[in-house]
Order: sequence, then structure tokens, then C-alpha cells
Amino acid sequence: MTWYSWLAIASLAICLAGCIYHLIRLIKLGKPKDYSRKSGSPGSGIIYSFTGAMNPVNKESAYLNLPTYIAGVIYHMGTFLAIILFFVFFFTTTLNKMITLPLVLFLFLSAIFGTGILFKRVTDKKLKQLSNPDDYISNMLVTGFQAATGIVLLIPDASYPVYMVIASLLLLYLPVGKLKHAIYFFAARYHIGYFYGWRNVWPAAKHSR
Amino acid sequence: MEKTDDIKIKRGLDVLNSHKDSKLISHLNSCVHCGLCAKTCLYYLTTKDERFIPARKVELVSSIYRRYFTFTGRTFPGLVKARELDDKTVEEMVDLLYGACVMCGRCVQHCSIGVDIEYVVRKGREMLAEMGYVPGSLQSTVKAALETGNNMGISYEDFVDTVEWMEEELQDECNDTEARIPLNEHGKNVLYTLNPREPKFFPLSISAMAKVFYAAKESWTLSTNMYDVTNYAYFSSHPGEAKKIAQRMYDEMHKMKAKRLVLGECGHGVRSNRWEASNYIEKEFPFEAITSVELMAEYIRDGRIKPDKERIKDTVTLHDPCNLTRGSGVIKEQRYILKNCVNDLVEMTPHGTDNFCCGGGGGQLAMSEYNDRRLKIAELKIGQIRKTGAVIVATPCHNCIDQLIQINVTYNLNVQIKTLAEIVADSLPV
Ligand code: SF4
Ligand code: SF4
Repeated sequence: MTWYSWLAIASLAICLAGCIYHLIRLIKLGKPKDYSRKSGSPGSGIIYSFTGAMNPVNKESAYLNLPTYIAGVIYHMGTFLAIILFFVFFFTTTLNKMITLPLVLFLFLSAIFGTGILFKRVTDKKLKQLSNPDDYISNMLVTGFQAATGIVLLIPDASYPVYMVIASLLLLYLPVGKLKHAIYFFAARYHIGYFYGWRNVWPAAKHSR
Repeated sequence: MEKTDDIKIKRGLDVLNSHKDSKLISHLNSCVHCGLCAKTCLYYLTTKDERFIPARKVELVSSIYRRYFTFTGRTFPGLVKARELDDKTVEEMVDLLYGACVMCGRCVQHCSIGVDIEYVVRKGREMLAEMGYVPGSLQSTVKAALETGNNMGISYEDFVDTVEWMEEELQDECNDTEARIPLNEHGKNVLYTLNPREPKFFPLSISAMAKVFYAAKESWTLSTNMYDVTNYAYFSSHPGEAKKIAQRMYDEMHKMKAKRLVLGECGHGVRSNRWEASNYIEKEFPFEAITSVELMAEYIRDGRIKPDKERIKDTVTLHDPCNLTRGSGVIKEQRYILKNCVNDLVEMTPHGTDNFCCGGGGGQLAMSEYNDRRLKIAELKIGQIRKTGAVIVATPCHNCIDQLIQINVTYNLNVQIKTLAEIVADSLPV
């Protein structure tokens, strides 16, 4: 095996260990403890939290900021695609030509959106004040990873070592920086779903709005 | 402002280091700084001040958490803008967490991730409360409640006088000398609670609810010992003081041997008694605690009272108290009541779980330090009310009533402000 494959595997192991640490901590601290008499269903609240409450029609953060929201959704889809391809590349970097082109186009498009989000972070005063170096680094690593994935699909032999280094940096950084929201997103949504479900606020469809 | 010291800092940090469950670390680790919550917050919308974006309030607390409790924040604080808990940070926390948040929770439902921003603000306030930095005016309200049994420091004699006066009003209104406002009667079905603003400034809302009870032939009582539904320590977020106040209500229910605790029209009073109190005292209530809104809806549904909507012909709009809707899930009941009691109900846009706070939540009405901000952020509510064309604004919360009365004058709104009990009482042909 090549040095860069070893590097990527070692980084993946460290990343998984870091993520497992966060997960175990969450599990150990446990489920919400609420002594009040519940009036709704936490289970339905949690389901709604991951479904109806995520519907852009119900979220001002989405429908009042539609271009940013769409860019964000495509950017995240690009990330998932790049992660899947990371594992595929351990077996082969040469895919069927019919699917290569759409994948490359999508990855480049999502990397462009990622760059756009980064540009907004630098130029929008309120976002700039809210941001820290971690935000910029996280964005650049993910955007770079997506672009590098696309390049590997086009010119595998020449780009694979550089790609593996970028992927390793991303994996090493994930559990310590903002990217760990990949785990905490689910925990936060679980908790607000539980909270609103317990109090019969969610699912919102039950109420006339 | 008094300077911080090691003891205070330790007290503040202990709040971030004590975990009942995984909720706190979930919300402190999940904000992605997307800034998309800005337009959900009435402070930002009315002032365009970037400091007031909800995420900035979360960031204040989570940056301290990172500094002291995460590997990255401890090792490379600059990388994640991890902050020391020092005088400058405390000053900013007081200004933003007490002075620029009504704890309405509107941002929470719209956050792209699901960060419970209001909960994080409450945790930040708890840190400040443990360190002794609660704004003076708010703390004196809490102190009055702890020392006198009600947040306005109303004496026993004054309270009884007011209730007797309202009993006479009730008898006139119902044309029945037997109509009563019972005090300290044991074993009743309902122990009813009030916002102390009622005996102090708005006694007619007491006789209005008494008229509803009279019409429903309810077995009920008030307690002179503990009638205060509010818990301002919920706003200051001092758990020890909040617990003392919550415990008093719990004990009174046992002493009075009532079956149902009925929480008067007060948004945070409902929230703090119906939900938070059990957690403060770490016990589930063995009795039922419901809001007077739910009770009045129940009376109408069961045919115990028969409102005549023709008696209220003016256009009415409803202001939803945040703690009743997003905080307690009471959303349909107030609408059901109004649809049965008034001829013309026009909803504000947005309403229900998307409503905007009137500007008086989060203890703002008790913090004179931030009066100007409080009146400024009311611009949104003013606009909403104007658009409805309503003559009457109904709201089941005395805090909201107080703020609405003030902005009615400040912004020349020319509407009448009423509690739901007043609307129901007006619609009853007793
Ligand atoms: S919308 Fe949520 S995740 Fe985004 S900045 Fe606001 S609090 Fe943070
Ligand atoms: S709870 Fe309300 S006032 Fe506080 S930050 Fe959120 S939207 Fe703004």
C-alpha cells in the first residue's frame, strides 16, 4: 500500500475515534430528564424535528434566505457524495464514463457554492463578526475535498496522492473543529424535538397556525 | 459593575460543567455560525444591530464553554475564538443575555440546525445569577417575591381589601349578593392563582375571572398565602431562588387540598409553574396544573358557560404570549375561546408558534435598565396590530398586557387591551 493510503486510513481511524468519543459522551450524559407531566409525545416531536420542522416552508432561516439555503443544501449533498466516493476510491478511481461526468459536474457545482458561502462569510459584516478561523478552515477543507474528489474522477493517477492528503487533513480536523456538527446536529435536533414534543408544541400540524 | 474574582468565575463555570443530561453539550456544540437566525429575532429586525443576532448570544456562552471545557479551545483558543470568563465578557453577557433577549424562543424553531438558543441564553443567565450579576431591578422583584410571597410586595391587608372590593363588583355585575370570591377555603376543586399586577393595578380582571367561575358554578378559592403565579427567578435564572418560589406553590396546593392548580393569565407564570417548577423541585406534581385559558375553553366545550358572541361586535385580535404557545403548547384553546366569544376575530401575521413577542418578555418589564430597547423592539408588534385593524387586542398574559398598554400610548395605537377572562366575562349574559 502507498504512503498516502496509509495516511488516509490512519486519519480515518483517528476521525472515527474522535467521533465515537463525542457519541459516547452524549450517550453517557443521557436522555433528557423532565419531571413535569408531559402533555404531548416526545417521540412524535423528535420525528417532526427531523421531518416537518426541517421543511424549508416551515423555517424562516430557509425561506427568508433562499439562495444561501439552496447553496447550503447543495454543498452538504456534495459533501455526502464526496464521502461516499472516498470509500469507493479505496477500490477503484475509474468509474463508468456515463456517471463520471455528472458526478464531476455536481462536485464542482457544490465546491463553487462552498466558495460562495466562504465569500459571503468574508464580505457580510454580520457573518464576519460571528465567524472564527475554525469556520474558514472548515469551509476550505470541505470545499477543497469536494473539488479534489472531482479532479480525481477526471485525472486519477496525477491527482490521487494530493487528494488523499486533503482527505486526511479533513478527517483529522473533523472531530475537533466546527465540522463535528455532523454529530451534534442530530443531538440538537433530538433535544428540541423531545422538548417541543413533551410540551405538545410539535408536531405543529396539530395546531392551527 | 463589581469585578469578577476566582470564586465568582468558578461559580459561573460550574453551571457549564454540571450536566443533568446531554442537552447542554448538544446545544453548545452545534451552532455553525450561518447567521440565518438573524431575521427571526425582533431585536435584530427592529435595530439592525449585529450584536443582537441570536447566534451572538449563543456564541457568548459557547465560547466560554470552549475555552474551559474543550481540547481545541484550551489548546488553541484563537482558532475557535474561545473566551475567558472575565470582566469584559461578563459585561457583554449581562447586556446581551439579560438586556437583549426576551427569551421568546422564536429563533429556536427557525434555527437551521436546531440550537435551543433560548435555553443557552437561560444557561448564560444562570451563570450570571450564580456570579451575582442579575440586573438590580430584576433582582429586587425576585427579592420581593421571596420575602413577601408576591413579587409586588402587596400586604395581606391590601390584598384582602382588593378582593372584597372586587367581590362587591361581582355581586353588582351578577345581581346576586351570594356571588363570592372565596379566600383560603380548603378542599375546593380549583386553587386559582393571579399575577400580582392584578390586585395592584388591574383588579377588574379578578372580578372578570370570578364571574366566569360564578357562571360555571365552579368550586374554587384563592389563597392569601400564595396567590402569585409568577416566578421572576425563572427570568433571573437563579435555580435556588426559582426552586424556593416553586416549592411554595407546591406546598400551598397540598395545604389547600385543592384538586386542580389553575394558573392565571401570565405566560411565564404558566411556564414556570406548569413545566419548570417540577424540574426545580425535582418532583412530578401529584395534582393537575392547567392554565385558566384551558379551563375556560373546557367550560365552553362542556356547556358550563354559554358566551354570546353578539355582545362583542368590535374587531378583536389575539396576541399570543410566547411562553403559552412555544413554551407550553397552548395554541388552539385561546382561539377556540375567542371564536365563541367575539363576532370578528382577525389573526395577526404571523401568529401561533410563529408569533412575535410583544417586547416585554424575558423579564424585560422588570428591568428598567433596558426600557428604551423594550419600547423600540415593540415596533414589530405595533405593525402587526395595526395591520389587523382591530379595536381590541386580547392576550392571556398580564406581562404582555402591561407592555401592550405602554406601547399603546407610546405609539398612539388607540386600541383596548384585554385579558381573555375579561373578554369571556363580557360575553357572558349573566
Ligand atoms: S441559525 Fe442556528 S446554527 Fe445558524 S447561526 Fe443561528 S443559532 Fe447558529
Ligand atoms: S429568544 Fe427571542 S429575543 Fe432571544 S435571541 Fe431568540 S428570537 Fe431573539
